Amino acid sequence: MALLEVIDVTQRFGGLQALSCFDMIVEEREIVGLIGPNGAGKTTVFNLVSGFYTPTTGEIRFRGKSTRGMKPNQVTALGLARTFQNIRLWNDMTVLDNVRMARYHWLGYGLLDAILRTRRYAQAEKAVEAKARHVLEIMELEDCATELPKNLPYGLQRRVELARALTVEPSLLLLDEPAAGLNSADVDGLIRQIRWIHENFDVAIWMIEHQMKVVMTLCQRLTVIDFGSIIASGTPVEVQKNPKVIAAYLGEERL
Amino acid sequence: MEILLQHCVNALQWGSFYALIALGYTLVYGVLRLINFAHGDIFMVGAYIAFFISTTLLAKDGAFALSMDTTLALTIPLTVLLTSLVGVTLERIAYRPLRRKGAHRLYVVITALMCGLILENGNLALLGASRRTLPQLLEKHVYSLGGIAVTNLKIWVILAAFAVFVLLQLAVTRTRIGMAMRAVSYDRFALPLMGIPMDWVIVFTFMVGSGIAGLGGLLFAMSYPVLEPYMGVMTGWKAFIAAVVGGIGDIRGAFAGGFLLAFVEIMVAAFLPSTFRDLFAFSILLLILWKRPTGIFGTPLTTKI
Amino acid sequence: MQRNALTVLLALVCIALVAAAQYRLLDSYLLTVLMFMGINIVFATSLNLVNGYMGEFSCGHGGFMCVGAYVGSILSVALFSGNKLMGPALLSPALAPLLFPLVLLAAFAVSALCGLLVALPSFRTRDDYLAIITIAANYIIISVVENIDAIGGPRGFSGMKRTVLAMEDVVDIPWMLVWVIVVTIVCVIIQRRLMSSTYGRGICAVCQNEVAAEIMGVDTNRVKLMAFMLSSGLAGVAGVLYAHVYGYVNAQAFNILKSTEGLVMVYLGGMGSLSGVILAAIAFTLLVEGLRFAIPALNDLLHAVQLMPASYEISQVWKWVLLPLLLVLLMQFRPEGFLGNKELTDVFPRLKRWMRSGSGEADGRGAS
Repeated sequence: MALLEVIDVTQRFGGLQALSCFDMIVEEREIVGLIGPNGAGKTTVFNLVSGFYTPTTGEIRFRGKSTRGMKPNQVTALGLARTFQNIRLWNDMTVLDNVRMARYHWLGYGLLDAILRTRRYAQAEKAVEAKARHVLEIMELEDCATELPKNLPYGLQRRVELARALTVEPSLLLLDEPAAGLNSADVDGLIRQIRWIHENFDVAIWMIEHQMKVVMTLCQRLTVIDFGSIIASGTPVEVQKNPKVIAAYLGEERL
Repeated sequence: MEILLQHCVNALQWGSFYALIALGYTLVYGVLRLINFAHGDIFMVGAYIAFFISTTLLAKDGAFALSMDTTLALTIPLTVLLTSLVGVTLERIAYRPLRRKGAHRLYVVITALMCGLILENGNLALLGASRRTLPQLLEKHVYSLGGIAVTNLKIWVILAAFAVFVLLQLAVTRTRIGMAMRAVSYDRFALPLMGIPMDWVIVFTFMVGSGIAGLGGLLFAMSYPVLEPYMGVMTGWKAFIAAVVGGIGDIRGAFAGGFLLAFVEIMVAAFLPSTFRDLFAFSILLLILWKRPTGIFGTPLTTKI
Repeated sequence: MQRNALTVLLALVCIALVAAAQYRLLDSYLLTVLMFMGINIVFATSLNLVNGYMGEFSCGHGGFMCVGAYVGSILSVALFSGNKLMGPALLSPALAPLLFPLVLLAAFAVSALCGLLVALPSFRTRDDYLAIITIAANYIIISVVENIDAIGGPRGFSGMKRTVLAMEDVVDIPWMLVWVIVVTIVCVIIQRRLMSSTYGRGICAVCQNEVAAEIMGVDTNRVKLMAFMLSSGLAGVAGVLYAHVYGYVNAQAFNILKSTEGLVMVYLGGMGSLSGVILAAIAFTLLVEGLRFAIPALNDLLHAVQLMPASYEISQVWKWVLLPLLLVLLMQFRPEGFLGNKELTDVFPRLKRWMRSGSGEADGRGAS
């Protein structure tokens, strides 16, 4: 059974057809990419998969289980985490707290435990703290654990967001333009980091990315969409040669 | 049946008051995304301004000693003008400095709430608790139409509300500054492209909104001549609810919401003890917002990620 | 050791206050002011949960205080003292001091349930629309209470003084002061502990970026439900205390003006700062009471130096001009309040070190 199946999904907003008949399968431990010109509907795909939108028609299955009717936090609980195109960190919480919060669903204690400081509370907080510190260490962020994200440079903010997503211990990680706004040294670092994550965690990665360097070196498969429909898919080399893809991108004078 | 019709006429009259105030809320909200909580008190100020102007002009031993008709003819424009000045002053000294500093929206809302308190309590502190009565400005006629009694004042009130609505609609669709107002509510950054300074649009909005509230205050005081400093509180809140139910930021919404609320209230008061009136009015508000979180004419909220 | 010193100091102050009240060293006016300080702390900090930490704009908090005040008063009168409306007491008045916490709990529960009135709509809407809903909830609650004749309707409800007297018959100590102190401390501890737990920080996550919270696994609806219910429940408890200190409740005492008082305290202290809001509640109570004396004094002074026409008297109404004016000025010049969203311990790091040393647990109560 595939990890994620997106089956014939169509999404309409009012009269606007944002996505039509989109199909996609992500296997366990795969790295795949989703590319396309601006406004092609890439982020819509991620919003659908992470449960933020409910598809107008079609179905999304995670490990064979339909996610229709689930709220985003329930989808996350199945083992899906994501980052955002425009960074969405909690800016008035420390980096450590940001990462800690990703364990929210698995805290396993309630209001009374928190107020009465029960043993369950103490154990859960200890575990969460250890987990968060561990992830910060892997992501080489331990130095800014007590900083507020808004005071960090852009590249580090992106990394904090990645760390937060990893703390969910996802089996599928959605990265929405992880290299956007990074300089070329940072991009190399990011590639190394994503590869390291992929080798050391039991995780499949699906990314939206404009920077061909990232996509070409990391992704095993690519899907290209334009105007809400798939126009090509295959290995990076195949996709790069596809005349439809070239036309779509040339139309936008990119690549 | 006749009783029902009589209630309808009363509802139209109350709806006019609510609509006139609600328009001010909605205009300011459309342009600034600010709930001007002081607006109900601007309405009160309008009524007091009308009182002072008309008593001065009417006073037999005073400098003017005008007739009733002339007084009314002068009171209307003067009240509208002075009330709109109050509104603009409020914007100038309380809201604009905050906006310039780029303060959080919430701080402006709180400032508005507090300005309302200052207006009503300042009035009470300065003028004392004795209630004032607006002198009669219009010879009262009662027309009887098929068993229902309608005073000429009621007809004027209703006509005035409709006239304001039509004029306002024309203003925002036909005039440059009106279109700029609408443009701001769609996209704040598009405005400089039209070549109209933002501050000008805001001043204009406050002028129009407060002026209409002043007119409402005058008409209200003519219908219910006893004035008191807190008269704007409840009416203001209700009008605000009307604006929200209609979909705040939308002129048609404010108008429709005002009449809807008035009908609900009058009908509840007709069949149930009048103490239930507010309960029902507010409960219906909750229900409508529950079903349509952005009001009747409001566009649904979308979060973009 | 030093952290314990703070707790001991706090305990000593409380004991000293109770003792002073017991031996009539504090006159009844000062005592009332002290108790209102405590009640205001509970009221303001509970509002801070929603308006500060969660960043919503609830302006109908007085409504929940009203529910608590009435539920607490009815229970207390029906159980321990009885009046014309409730009939004779159901239980022996001697049980009053023992069972009073149950009255508080019941008021907490009912007010928390009323909190659903605003919590449920908050799932779908926020900001301005939610503000309206809270105002509507405030009016609905008052209107409902005024329409129930069995609890006095618009005339109000009284008889709670007899419950307090019944408590004093059992053991002669200033019971209400004790209850206010205990409730205030418990309320502050609850919020302090909640907001330092990851569970409670979910409230901040919802405030700072709701989309991120939802997608990172935070059940935002549950967080809102929890925050609104806890907040309104605590306001209800403040209501019970208020009713028993006054001995009389009237729904109109909890109208928008009461809710506005809460807002003033929260924004004076700084949204999302527990110690800031506590300080603000204390300062606000003192200010309101101070103006009670300052206004006549100013009036006499201005008359004495003949700056004001003899026919005009500055009345207490000016209090409600000056307080809003204060807040308007605050919004202009220091909109973040006393402490912003920081705690006292963040502003004075030395205090933090002083409190932390000798103890590993970060459970100091900054300003209580």
